[in-house]
Amino acid sequence: METPKDDRLAEDLRALRPTPRPHFTAELDERAAAGFPRRSRLPRPFRSAPVICTAMRNKRPEHLRRRLLLPAGGLAVVAIALVTAVDAINDTSTDSTSGGGSGVLSLTAPAPEAQEPMRAAAPPVETSAEEATAASGAASDAASNLNFDGSGRYVPGRAHLTSKPGIRNRAVERSAQLVLGADPADVAEDSSKVLEAVHAHNGIVMRSSTRQGEAGVAGARFELLIPSARLGDALAALSAIDEVRSRHEATADITAPTVRVGELLQDSKARIDSLLGQLEAAETESEREAVEAELRQERRHRARLRAELQHLQRRADLSRVLVRIETGAAEEPSGGGAWGVDDALDDAGRVLAVAAAVTVVALAILGPIALIALLAWLTHRAWVRRERRRVLS
Amino acid sequence: MEQTLVATAEEAPPAADLAFDRLYRSSRDDVYAYVASLLRDAPAAEEVTAAAFERAYRKRNRFDPERGEPRAWLFGIARNAALDELRRRGRQAELTADPADLDGAGLDEGAAHSERRLAVASALERLEPRERELIALKFFAGLENREIAQVLGISESNAGTKLHRAMTKLREACNGDA
Repeated sequence: METPKDDRLAEDLRALRPTPRPHFTAELDERAAAGFPRRSRLPRPFRSAPVICTAMRNKRPEHLRRRLLLPAGGLAVVAIALVTAVDAINDTSTDSTSGGGSGVLSLTAPAPEAQEPMRAAAPPVETSAEEATAASGAASDAASNLNFDGSGRYVPGRAHLTSKPGIRNRAVERSAQLVLGADPADVAEDSSKVLEAVHAHNGIVMRSSTRQGEAGVAGARFELLIPSARLGDALAALSAIDEVRSRHEATADITAPTVRVGELLQDSKARIDSLLGQLEAAETESEREAVEAELRQERRHRARLRAELQHLQRRADLSRVLVRIETGAAEEPSGGGAWGVDDALDDAGRVLAVAAAVTVVALAILGPIALIALLAWLTHRAWVRRERRRVLS
Repeated sequence: MEQTLVATAEEAPPAADLAFDRLYRSSRDDVYAYVASLLRDAPAAEEVTAAAFERAYRKRNRFDPERGEPRAWLFGIARNAALDELRRRGRQAELTADPADLDGAGLDEGAAHSERRLAVASALERLEPRERELIALKFFAGLENREIAQVLGISESNAGTKLHRAMTKLREACNGDA
């Protein structure tokens, strides 16, 4: 055989060119004329089966799945974002109402023991009757159980749980915020009255500041700890000092952590008793040393638990109260008077703020997801390219 | 081959469809020949050819003439579809075997021609898959070097060099047979 010349070789190669079956080209022409309708990706053996597989093909499960998967995923992400945003907004609202407390249970309705009519009470938050009753019951029970020493000082650790029959034992942390309106000239006198009221109710002034000046500048601020048992009386006395501009109260149920720590403390005591027994029964020096080491560790553990319990008891027994004395015109309470342009602007601002918050939360969720999806897509693409190259190498 | 899939604004959809129709009619058998030479399985080649046209049809509005020739674009899609099929089925081993599926057209043109073409087919089988692909793009699909370069993502001169080397090896393989 002669060596093929280039042109002859090219001719031979063209002659070896695979040609499609006429039936296939006719079918493809039909599909081209129809605009290439989508086909299923069933395995070939199924495609050659005539009737039943045609029906299966028409269902196009993979395409349907893909079409449904994307919107479903998008909806899920949006739902998660909305739920998170609403939750975040609720948290913010609760925090602002309860003055930074835990916000487990918050009451902003005017307290019944208020002696002065409140001009600018916040709108009441819906709270179930059971919770409110339980909270106030717990608080009043705490009041009856509160302990003071002979000098009137508070002794923590004995009155943190209610024990009244018929009401669940609960440890409740209470807090309050009171804003008083005063003339600039009366700020000093009102401040003195606040201190008197605090001392009269065995309270503690954590922090205070007083500022003199003209209306709007002058004012005072007090951060107080009042025995929860006497919180109602103290708030009444504080409210009587001057015009009450606003008053908020909040409660948080800390029963669960208190009970848990108490149980742990009992366990620890039992453990120490057991170890002491073991120490008595120890016969060798090494046994004794081992038991003593364990005893030391358990005692440290008990000390930590006791401190934690005292902290919880202190939170239940002493209520945080913030008193502010303001001068100048009181702010117009929301909802008062006719609804006007300013209110509309305020409302619009609030709506925009909420929308912005929702958007930020949604972006915070969607951003990482989108980034992960992008990275996954790029990785998949690179992998596919590499695999394609590998197929022919 | 002067074709474009881009049309003026006022006649965009029909012109794009017409351009694609022209591309389809001029490339149908070429695409099949190229895909069949890669897959070496006629039924699979039919499936992949149809899938490639389907994919190209759906992407026809995304074709950018500044990035290459329409035929190169189409063969790029067909190539990816064929490689995906090979990858999916793990047909790597079969790339170097099973020469029987090649429809040797024109084998009845005389004993001398038939013998020579069988020798060429046999030599072709002994080439590397990448070299066979180059020859398939050139002689089965009828692409210019410029279009081959676009399909493979290499420069035109590189495509020409590689094709020359593949042809040299093929010629030597034919010499070996002789």
